[in-house]
Formats: sequence, C-alpha cells, structure tokens
Amino acid sequence: MQRNQIPLIDTDIHERVQYEDILNKLDEPFKHYIENCHWIQEKHMPYTQPAVAGVDRADAVLPDGRPAGSDLAFMQEQLLDDVGHKAGILTSALDPSPSSMHGWHEMAAALATAYNDWQIENWLEKDERLYGSVHIAAQDRERAIQEIKRAGSHPKMVQVLLPIDDIMWGDPYYHPIFEEAEKQSLMIGMHHNEPPVYYGRWPRYFIEWHSLIPTAHMKQVTNMIFNGVFDKFPTLGLMMIEGGFTFIPHMMWKLDQQFRDLRHEVPWLKRKPSEIMKEQVRFTTQPAEELTKQEFTSLLEQMGTDEMLCFSTDYPHWDFDSPTRALPKMDEQLTRKIFSENAKNFYPKLHAI
Amino acid sequence: MREQVVCNSTDLKPGEMMKSTFGKQSVLVCRTPDGEYYAFMNQCIHQGAPLDKGMLCGATTESSNPGKYEYCHKGEIIRCPWHGREFDIKNEGRMLANPNKKIPSFKVRVEGEQVIVYK
Ligand code: FES
Repeated sequence: MQRNQIPLIDTDIHERVQYEDILNKLDEPFKHYIENCHWIQEKHMPYTQPAVAGVDRADAVLPDGRPAGSDLAFMQEQLLDDVGHKAGILTSALDPSPSSMHGWHEMAAALATAYNDWQIENWLEKDERLYGSVHIAAQDRERAIQEIKRAGSHPKMVQVLLPIDDIMWGDPYYHPIFEEAEKQSLMIGMHHNEPPVYYGRWPRYFIEWHSLIPTAHMKQVTNMIFNGVFDKFPTLGLMMIEGGFTFIPHMMWKLDQQFRDLRHEVPWLKRKPSEIMKEQVRFTTQPAEELTKQEFTSLLEQMGTDEMLCFSTDYPHWDFDSPTRALPKMDEQLTRKIFSENAKNFYPKLHAI
Repeated sequence: MREQVVCNSTDLKPGEMMKSTFGKQSVLVCRTPDGEYYAFMNQCIHQGAPLDKGMLCGATTESSNPGKYEYCHKGEIIRCPWHGREFDIKNEGRMLANPNKKIPSFKVRVEGEQVIVYK
C-alpha cells in the first residue's frame, strides 16, 4: 500500500480472539463450560457476510489459515508498519463480546473480564501503537462498573465499548456506567453490532441491514442528547464507530429544529443539540461512501466543523477503508485533523501522544 | 516492456487465476472454464486491493427476479478480496454493478506452453 504521509490514528481496528486464547484467563466454572461443554455464544445473524471471505478481507486471513486479526505480527506487517500508523484503537471482533447475550449475565461478565486481560497482555503491552477498549457486560451494571474501574484504569484503555441492547443509552440505567467512565478518563464507544435495526427483527437481505446501520447510531445519539446525558456528564465523549458520517448534517438540522419547537419537553438541555454533537460526539469515517472532493467539502461545511470526523480502517474486515484511497484528497491541515488530531483531542489518554 | 511470458499454460487449470508480473506491474492472469487466458491489472480500481487474493467465481445475474436467484458465468467473474466488487472477465473486466468501470486489461496469447502478455 502507498505509505501515508500523515501520522495516522486509526480509530477502529479489530483484533480477533478465539476461545482457546482466553481459557487461561477465565475463572471456573466458565472455563469448564467452554472447554468441556463446548459452550459457544449464540449468534443471530441469518446471513453470511456476502463477501469473498465472510466478514474478513480475504488477504488478511493468516497464511496458516488462522482467522484475520488473530496475530499481532501479521497485523503489524499488513497494517501498522505498511500504512505507518502512529496509533490504533482496538475494538475487537465482537466475539466474545457479551453484547448479544441476553441471558447468563455471569458468563458474559466473565468473558468480558478475560477478554480485557487478554487484550492488554497480548496487544496493548506488545505494541506501543495499540490502544484498547474496555468490554463490559452492561446487563449486570455493578459488575460492569467494577470492570471499568479495574481494566479501564490501564493507561492504554481509552474507551468503554458499551453493548447495544434494548435499553437506549440515554436511560438512567446507564448513568452510573457513564459516571465511572468519566472518572477513568474513558470515552464511550458504540460499534454497530448484531441487534438489528428493523422493528426488532432482521431485514430480508444483508444489504438492507448493512445500509441501515447508521439509523442505529442516529437513535442512540438522539436518545442520549435528549435525555441530558451530555449535560450531566460534561467531560464524557461518545465515539460512534462504523456507522459512517454522511448523515451528520441531517441530524444536526433535524435535532436543532425539533429543539426549537419542542424544547419545553426537555428543559434540561443547556445547549442546542448540534452544539452538543460538536463538543462531545465524534464519528469514525469508515465505511465511507465514495464522495467527490466537492461533496466531501460541502458535507464538512454543512456540519460547521471539521473536528467531528476521525479516520478508521476497520481492518481486517471486508469493508476496510484504505487510508490513501477511501477519502478524497484534502489539504494538509484538514488531513492532519481527520487522520489524527481529532482522535488525539477526543480521547484524554491520547492527548499526550 | 512490450511483451513478456507471465506463466506456463499448465500453471493454471480452467477456473483458476494467479499473480504474475509484466515489467514492474503486478498482473492477474485468469483462465476461464473454457480454457481461455486473460490478464488484468492486479489492483482493484476501487481502493487498490490485490485482486489475486480474491476469487474467481460465478455471479447472480440481472435476469434474477426478486426472491429467485439465477447464478451463472461460473469461473468468469473476479471478485475483489475487500469490498467484493465483481468484474466480468469475458466482458473486458467490466464491473457488474457499473459496467462503465473496468479493470485495465492486457492482451494475451499462448505460444506452445508459454502464456504471453503484451500491449
Ligand atoms: S478495493 Fe476492490 S472492491 Fe474495494
């Protein structure tokens, strides 16, 4: 790949775990359930990802057949060294993320803890460029808070990846989680995940689900803003990962207009929704639609800021965005912002890098 | 570089593809099920993925109707290893979803055992 001239902070990289990798970090009886009873997490998606190698870039599968993203040396060679990353934020491969587990909270929480330890030991402490996301089973709030305290205090953990479930994120249920994240200088990350966006069921085709992922992001941002989360936690930030960004101007206009008309219902809002977004919400760029330079520039103008977008590759997944090809060419200052400074300014633990 | 041997005719069975070089360029040599050879630039025109890491396969066709798939052109479609765009070997490497775009191709001839790419 053509080498990037600008130092890159990549805000979405997926490392991949296999159950055998974390067995030694799991307490009993959970280890036993996986090792001897062959427990696997229930997955619900009715389709395969209809690309050449399923969810992965076909050329990111390891030469020995292990799944893409499961080996640091290969990731260094194919991504970090090749592109010339300054930093990368790991967001996992969603498995064994507890986010789609609706029962057995104990297992979900045990997996999250084991996963966090495995991530720290095998990735964050082995490559200085890599930063991590704390996984939690939010279904058990008290354990989740303990986990944020425990794993989130690691200097290279930069955000809490909050599982998406049937309680929207503005709900007071989550506020103690936000409070602990704020104490630990962690941001909240939303990565799209299995829960569907179609009346609680799956649409008929993968292409529909994949096209509509941004609507799941729009719902959470809207819910958090109108429930006053960002005023209650003024130093908390929200990173919306892998939902794209071309819907942002629409959201800003829509929420501001609604606020002008219906403010009396949410009097706790101290700022216009678009101001809240500009100050506390960021969006990763992948999967970027193919935009001309003029379309891209006009989109930024419509947002009224060039500080909300943070570049991401989504390596090693099939819809990876190339740092040199996915976005139109921009001037150097804008490139610096989108490719590194915006992320650096957003995550407190990256300020100093 | 005007012409170059890129592989042996026996290196590829019908329905297979491989990477080779033409001067400094990486080329993708494909052999369709009817035994013919084709060569393309080995770089996707979308974001530059190495096409040899993708697959030669068939495609669901435009003649499909909602709810009923037609699948044909087996071994004649190059599918990109990243975003999965499909390119029709027999139709000048044109993209199925947008036939105005195509992967740049090279001329190919076979002499004895040698597969030769030329401009
Ligand atoms: S790089 Fe080939 S489809 Fe995107």
